[in-house]
Amino acid sequence: MKKLPAIYLPLILGILVVVTPACSKKAVQSGGDAQTLQQETAKSGTTREGTRRGGVSPNFPDTAFSGRNDSSSLRGLDRDPSEERLSSEAGSNGGLGGNGGSGSNGNRLMAKSDPGAAARQLAEIRAEQIASAAAELRDVFFAYDSFSITDEGRHALSNNAEWIKSNPNTQLKIEGHCDERGTSAYNLVLGEKRAKAVRNYLVELGVAPDHLSVVSYGKERPFCTEHAESCYSQNRRGHLVVRTGN
Amino acid sequence: MTFRTGVIVGFCALLGLVWIIESGAADVFLEATRSDFQKIPLGVVGIDHVGGPESPEGRAKLGSRIEEVLKGDVRRSLVFSLVDLSNLGIKAGGRGGEPHPSFKQAAENGVSVIVWGKAGMKTDTKTPDVSMDGYVYDAGSDEVVGGKRYAGSTSVVRLMAHRFADELVFRYTGEPGIARTKIAYVSQQGTAREIFVMDYDGFEARQLTTDGFLNLMPHWSPDRRFLVFTAYRNRNTQEIDMIELATGKRWTLVSQGGLNITPALSPDGHFLAYSSSHEGNAELYRLDTRTKVVQRLTTNAGGDLSPSWSPSGRELIFTSDRSGGPQLFLMSADGANVRRLTFDGDYNAAPAWSPRGNWIAYVCRTLKKEYKLCLITPDGQKRMQLTTGPGVDDSPSWSPDGRHLVFSSTADGKSQIYMINADGKDLERITFTGTHNSAPTWSPAS
Repeated sequence: MKKLPAIYLPLILGILVVVTPACSKKAVQSGGDAQTLQQETAKSGTTREGTRRGGVSPNFPDTAFSGRNDSSSLRGLDRDPSEERLSSEAGSNGGLGGNGGSGSNGNRLMAKSDPGAAARQLAEIRAEQIASAAAELRDVFFAYDSFSITDEGRHALSNNAEWIKSNPNTQLKIEGHCDERGTSAYNLVLGEKRAKAVRNYLVELGVAPDHLSVVSYGKERPFCTEHAESCYSQNRRGHLVVRTGN
Repeated sequence: MTFRTGVIVGFCALLGLVWIIESGAADVFLEATRSDFQKIPLGVVGIDHVGGPESPEGRAKLGSRIEEVLKGDVRRSLVFSLVDLSNLGIKAGGRGGEPHPSFKQAAENGVSVIVWGKAGMKTDTKTPDVSMDGYVYDAGSDEVVGGKRYAGSTSVVRLMAHRFADELVFRYTGEPGIARTKIAYVSQQGTAREIFVMDYDGFEARQLTTDGFLNLMPHWSPDRRFLVFTAYRNRNTQEIDMIELATGKRWTLVSQGGLNITPALSPDGHFLAYSSSHEGNAELYRLDTRTKVVQRLTTNAGGDLSPSWSPSGRELIFTSDRSGGPQLFLMSADGANVRRLTFDGDYNAAPAWSPRGNWIAYVCRTLKKEYKLCLITPDGQKRMQLTTGPGVDDSPSWSPDGRHLVFSSTADGKSQIYMINADGKDLERITFTGTHNSAPTWSPAS
């Protein structure tokens, strides 16, 4: 390959396209160590633990991006501009892709909303609260950044475990909550760790796992909203709820 | 190294070069994010209110309302600097044709672009209708370079100003501008948190969901038709939903046990990256939106979440607590080549990759244990803190031009939404009502 005539270039580029999948980013960056390349290829061949469809809906629209919508693109300044008719954003293609001049239907709220949903949720939450209060279940509180159960928490959970065992038909939900510090997203992970720590300790105490479910609310459903430790300490909790509905 | 390997390596290297050339268009941009970028001095003579009755919507005359919106857009474009013309005695020109004699004087005072126009209610239509004309004089060529004429209902008054502002940005940079972009966010409604969308300047908010419980962390599809977000429709489990903005139509994309959070569609819309704990702890997954096949991207005992795509779609930045506290990690979009990016501080999370590719914004915990915005380059070489002071800052999201960030902060007490330039200047609060507004996410440009 001393002198590579330019005529071969299209040919090489063509082969390149075919070989593309074999070129992992890692191989490129590490200067193309042969072993790494083979490992990466092997790995992608088995796609880790294989593919799965569990929990994924087969029916939702393609979100592939096919370029900007022409009708919404700018048309430039004009020395003798003709009239551009603008339509209300809510009525057009998200307003946001725009069917240019499809006329306005200024819906402020989306069509498929369910105005009764909020009232229904509230009623269900109220029913859960009443059932939970009757059971006198105690919450578990956590230290900042922590999901370890304290001695006080263990004591509370011992009482809870006795109640659950003597009410074998009950389904319990363990909610993980966090204080407002930190990001929304990471607090959802922390909240789940707290809820699972509570569940695991209850199971250790002999509660059947199939009576327990966990859910993390992160910092999204705080018990109080002041910016003070007195409030933060209340929000860092594993909250036990007797499930009354689904 | 064998010949065969050499050839493959050569191919890969060359391919890399081809990639660079191919993606070059996306990576070359006007350096308006640089602090030494010379903004173009632009003056707005005024949008005169003409004819007909005043807008029934407000006390202010239509013209001055449009002018105010337009000036806000010009200022936020960061392409222009807004010049005060009031002391220069500049008069509005006619439509098209010869520039007004006073424009020369403005040009001598360093004004490069002069804008004027008129707006009024149309009286010849059945429904209240608004029209607006806008014209542009360019000092460089000493001519009226053109204008726009808009018409529509009273609900598009702000849009007229936004569209005209974007035409100005387009004229001088070739970029689409951000004045017509949107911000999706979460807003407290009673005891519930619902998804809303508003204009990028905080106006024209509208509610998209009415589930009555929790909807969290919306994220745009690249064509702006859809939002993906986390929904707790039955309060006990999380799912990842998608909503079409134009119709309100909803789909459940992912519903399985455990956390199903932080969905993010790739720049080409072909993949949905998200975090789920249905197999134990929070791991990252990638759903092919065409084949609906899911691929697991991470495997370790720590929590992995908050994936954000590089503009090319080839890499992901994400949060992981695999090394203790949350830190930022990079990996290829197929899960290979994971490496840690942040080493300063014990809490770095919620990364957002700039559409320019050159910065990653994230939430950093300072030595004073405050949660502030930081920026880091994808190679980790440069890092800086963007915000200071009290309050928890969260959920940074870039404007499509890469010059601004929107984020939530409790700096003023309740969580509200703010905008800031990528250089830390011009902090601006954009939500003022309600008890809680959070998780802002900036739409792509249109």
